[in-house]
Amino acid sequence: MTVSARGMEITLSAAAVRFAEFQAVHPTDLTIRAGEFFSILGPSGCGKTTILRLVSGFLEPSEGGVQIGGMPMAGISPSDRPTALIFQNLALFPLMPVWENVAFGLEMRGWSKAKRRARALELLKMVALDEQADKLPSELSGGQRQRVAIARALAVEPAVLLLDEPLSALDLKLRQHMRAELKQLQRETGITFVYITHDQGEALTMSDRVAVMNAGRLVQLGTADDLYHRPANAFVATFVGETNRLTGRIEAVDGQSARIATPEGVFVAVNTAGLSVGEQAFLFLRPERLHVLEAGETQANSLTGHLVRRDMEGAFSTLVIDTGQSQLTVHRVNGGGPVVPDGPLRLGFSQEAGVILPLSETAND
Amino acid sequence: MTKLRRAFGAPLSALIVFLAGIWILGLIAAPQIIMIEQSFWTMQRPEGAAELSVKIDALYNRLDVLALDHAAAPDEAARAAVDAERDAVQTEITALEVEESTPVKTWTLSNYGQMGKAHLAIFAKTILASLAVTAIAFVVCYPIAFAIAKLEPPRRAAMIMLALVIPYAINELLRVFAWQMILNYGGPLNAALGLVGIGPVPFLESGTGVFVAMVYAYILFMVFPLYNVLETLDTNQIEAARDLGAGTIQIHRRVVLPHARPGIAVGCIMTFMLSAGSYAVPYIMTRGTADPWFTQLVYNRFFQATNWNVGAAYALSLLVVCTGFIFLMMGLLKVRLRDIAK
Amino acid sequence: MSGQGSGLILRLYMAVFFVYMFLPLGIMVAAGFNAYSPPSVTVWQGFTLQWFGELWADQRMWSGLRNSLIIAGAVIALALPMGLAGALLLGRLGARAAGLLYTVMVSPLLTPGIILGISTVIFWRNFEVAGGLFTAILAQTTFVASYAMLMFMARLQRQDATLEEAARDLGATPLQAFRRITLPFLRPTIVTAAVIAFLQSFENYNTTMFAIGGQHTLVTEIGSRMRFGLSPVVNVIGIFFIIATITCAVVWAILKERERCAANGVSA
Repeated sequence: MTVSARGMEITLSAAAVRFAEFQAVHPTDLTIRAGEFFSILGPSGCGKTTILRLVSGFLEPSEGGVQIGGMPMAGISPSDRPTALIFQNLALFPLMPVWENVAFGLEMRGWSKAKRRARALELLKMVALDEQADKLPSELSGGQRQRVAIARALAVEPAVLLLDEPLSALDLKLRQHMRAELKQLQRETGITFVYITHDQGEALTMSDRVAVMNAGRLVQLGTADDLYHRPANAFVATFVGETNRLTGRIEAVDGQSARIATPEGVFVAVNTAGLSVGEQAFLFLRPERLHVLEAGETQANSLTGHLVRRDMEGAFSTLVIDTGQSQLTVHRVNGGGPVVPDGPLRLGFSQEAGVILPLSETAND
Repeated sequence: MTKLRRAFGAPLSALIVFLAGIWILGLIAAPQIIMIEQSFWTMQRPEGAAELSVKIDALYNRLDVLALDHAAAPDEAARAAVDAERDAVQTEITALEVEESTPVKTWTLSNYGQMGKAHLAIFAKTILASLAVTAIAFVVCYPIAFAIAKLEPPRRAAMIMLALVIPYAINELLRVFAWQMILNYGGPLNAALGLVGIGPVPFLESGTGVFVAMVYAYILFMVFPLYNVLETLDTNQIEAARDLGAGTIQIHRRVVLPHARPGIAVGCIMTFMLSAGSYAVPYIMTRGTADPWFTQLVYNRFFQATNWNVGAAYALSLLVVCTGFIFLMMGLLKVRLRDIAK
Repeated sequence: MSGQGSGLILRLYMAVFFVYMFLPLGIMVAAGFNAYSPPSVTVWQGFTLQWFGELWADQRMWSGLRNSLIIAGAVIALALPMGLAGALLLGRLGARAAGLLYTVMVSPLLTPGIILGISTVIFWRNFEVAGGLFTAILAQTTFVASYAMLMFMARLQRQDATLEEAARDLGATPLQAFRRITLPFLRPTIVTAAVIAFLQSFENYNTTMFAIGGQHTLVTEIGSRMRFGLSPVVNVIGIFFIIATITCAVVWAILKERERCAANGVSA
């Protein structure tokens, strides 16, 4: 590895962006640690790309400020920031051969032609493209173009690499391969990676931490485990991973857990959100945490239903259970027990498997 | 403006604004504004010029009287008094003469009123003839454009259009001159008519020639825009309409013509504007024998009668009609400017 | 059945149209080789090249050609930068301002040529500048810049806006990004626009006729010769124009074809 750069910390302090009548990003505080792989996850239009443009300098915040490595960035143009961007469409210069693309940043810094070509070849070797140096970007495959874009960004030795959904144009296999490559690259270089995506798979697998955004607000910040198992609100619970949603009323509260009465039954589940007795609330249940109970088997929470569909997915099966009030999805590992017969059955789940959250917008609304 | 500076930096933005400014203000706007302004005033003899000249005449008489007085003056003192008065009268005459002969810029609508019956008739004839040229061009070209765009295979259609580029791109004057030869007294058309015992027909001298040459010269300005829009019409739409029971006329009325609106607008506007504003065609085709085209009147106002104010009024009248036609077409065909200028 | 029948009629109609378009040009060319003067095809006095010689010796035609080239060169030098500036400006303005500016910038194309010519002369007369090459250049630039603007605008709309941003992000100043990214992207359009500008200027009659005062260009000179059709010299010039037009059309078609092949080659 010949890239010698050190990641820098990024701080947004009450940064907000307003376009005429439209509040793209509400005042947001956020610290991205030096050298971490950080993802911003959210549906399209949630403001994640706007945050990226704030950091890269193509946009100035309407309020608040941005700091990189402790330096305020107000008034500093994109060309003078220690950041490099990898665009969604890669934005390779179509009229320049691959090596000139990679060397472009060095050319702008006044390097001599011989020096910048040597350096470009070095970087291209790192991404296994030194043989393609004199081709045009249009002559490369999708994955190769991706790697040219990475080499071009790394050439300017940025402290922060900003990636705007760079894998979205690739097919599934290549995408999975590039995930691993990016993660490895980040570890080796120690550069701060800020990765923008609407694909939770990408965010959860690669990132040290993930920020989930919705409608211009940061709705949760945490590790992949936090988001999946301990969602802070209904939006995150529904946006990240699959889930079942029941609606009911809190009957009793006991420390970190609560009892909730729903049309499907009365259940005890986690109440870290601190809802109090009498409030309406959602109860979220992950499909793999619901178990089909054998005759005589008991669990803290149970309900009855009726198997209406069974989809074979390979490693597991999806069972659709009609409770009479709603339809629940259950994931069951294949080979992990006898085949569930059609007809009436009982489902159970542990107290820790259910998450009670206040009523609010979900990702499916 | 901030967006511009952000995108290009201050020096380049300044250059862009400077160049675009010279073009838009200096080349497009200012000459038009000055022309409009010029059409609303005229240089006139000052008010009361008639009284002034009476006064001046009286002063000249006085001068003559003083000359006699001078001759008859009894002594030096009397002569000096006469001289003094003569000088004073002389000065006054000079001042009054300057005042009388300096024309005054007067705001007026009279430049537009200068168009007598004859000129007004030519103006009307020019516009009507141009409308007729436009209508003929459309009727002739629509089937052609449709046939090339929808009935020919794409490669052949491209070849045909390339062939049509040749007469389209050849200088207007040459296309007109070809017809001058054809319609001339000794030209091939009169020769052919002579074989069947007709003529010779004075095509050029009767003004027919202008019309024929104009149709020929500007017809391709209708073909190209029509072809360009019809080419973008999905052939499946025509087939779907036929499948649903539409006849040929209904297909054109309900499917093809509505799709072709922008092309029709461009074709009609170009043909009309070129016809109404044509100077070359009437200039070459009539040799001054038939009634002039309105553009020739404009030219003569400027360069023969050298009355620039009236000329400006004439030119502006033409511009107003052409602009009116553009708005009319845009309104009738519900087309925006952006669809037109492609 | 009826479709075939109407197809045949349309074909026939098209053939008639082509004869109508090309026959007059053929007649004009033929008269250029006829020894009879004034130009005629009805009185044939034998094949000759003498009119070519007369054209060669015609001083006013040569001076007209020189004036035409001077004007065309100046128009290209003025109209291209102005048109490009206009197109760049349009891309960076708010919707309403851009709409208004756009209308003003295309208005010369929708104005009769004589008006552009005469208004330029009227304007410059206020500064004691009489009609001549200078006013002809300015009057032509007015509308040629509109063509250039439309061409540059079409090209810029196809440019990927992220390319400039990528360059800026990699440390390029706005000027560097423009020079290194946008200008190379525009190069083919600059060439096309220059060719179109040259043709528009060189072939222009209406605007020039009203703006040029006592001077003349090749085309205004041809115009005044044609009026009385006295000598087949104008037919000979017509032959040159036709040859030049056909050459341009063929070259253009070949370039288009090559571009198409190149595009297919890459995607294949």
